[in-house]
Amino acid sequence: MAGEGEPGSEKSFKLLGILDVQNIPCARESVLYGSLGSLVAGLGHFLATSRVRRSFHFGMGGFVLTTLGCWVYCRYNHAKLRIQQRIIQEGMRNKILYESSDFDPESKQNKSQGSHS
Amino acid sequence: MAHPLQLGFQDAMSPIMEELLHFHDHTLMIVFLISTMVLYIITSMMTTKLTHTNTMNAQEVEIIWTILPAIVLITIALPSLRVLYLMDEINNPYLTIKAMGHQWCWTYEYTDYENLEFDSYMIPTQDLPKGYFRLLEVDHRMVVPMESPIRMLISAEDVLHSWAMPSLGVKTDAIPGRLNQTTFTMTRPGIFYGQCSEICGANHSFMPIVVESIPLKHFENWSSLMLS
Repeated sequence: MAGEGEPGSEKSFKLLGILDVQNIPCARESVLYGSLGSLVAGLGHFLATSRVRRSFHFGMGGFVLTTLGCWVYCRYNHAKLRIQQRIIQEGMRNKILYESSDFDPESKQNKSQGSHS
Repeated sequence: MAHPLQLGFQDAMSPIMEELLHFHDHTLMIVFLISTMVLYIITSMMTTKLTHTNTMNAQEVEIIWTILPAIVLITIALPSLRVLYLMDEINNPYLTIKAMGHQWCWTYEYTDYENLEFDSYMIPTQDLPKGYFRLLEVDHRMVVPMESPIRMLISAEDVLHSWAMPSLGVKTDAIPGRLNQTTFTMTRPGIFYGQCSEICGANHSFMPIVVESIPLKHFENWSSLMLS
């Protein structure tokens, strides 16, 4: 068991020493899209206004907003996926347990289809 | 168990711990963004030649630095409350196990059907077989069936102890004269380690907790073996 965690820790890359972008789901994509958003916002503002300092401010704001937006969207979808995985797992387990018994949902479905026809 | 120099959480072995890990990731991202912004603002303020010596009021920035932190707090609080209420859900446990803290061992009681009770002492280092974990192994592990909701009733016989299992996200105080309840579901088979988390005397660091999660069929065999 001591060796299980080590491969994960060798591959970890922590931004600012805290955010492990390799192992946290959605972190890498959020930071990458955030960097892109920062570049677009900062560069775009500079090209439009030629104000260097303010362009950096816009770049920073773009980074924060893009990272946050991408993070919230990705984590929401990730959570939906996990819920679906849990439902499927539960369904598979119940199917194996209840197959051919009175609790089998498939047999109830077939019975109701048979009664309708 | 934790690997050497580990800083982060252990892998989650229960649904609640998975939720806690996800909440931690969410909060960490917010902390990372705030830290980045603060670092940037500090750098920006230290690299300007402009000064303003006659500031009288700053309505706009006051509004921003009131509203934004409130939004950040709400963004953190809502998932936090969700996990908090998830932890308190009643989920019809299949089994109740009592853990009693002593100086310096744990006693586990399985009294739902028969009266099964045993002590769990740490294996001293000099008696430890090769390949076993120092200061973490015990002579009798707490065995639980996997994928079954388990209720733990935790108390103590003498002084304060605390039953902690990081991979399950459980840390519950063992208080003499009081029963504390916690529930968990082990999602995977395996052996998981924890340690007493409330100072309880000389051997506080030497009363570990080991939970072994096995399929129900093997759990039935184990309990029959323990009773005989």
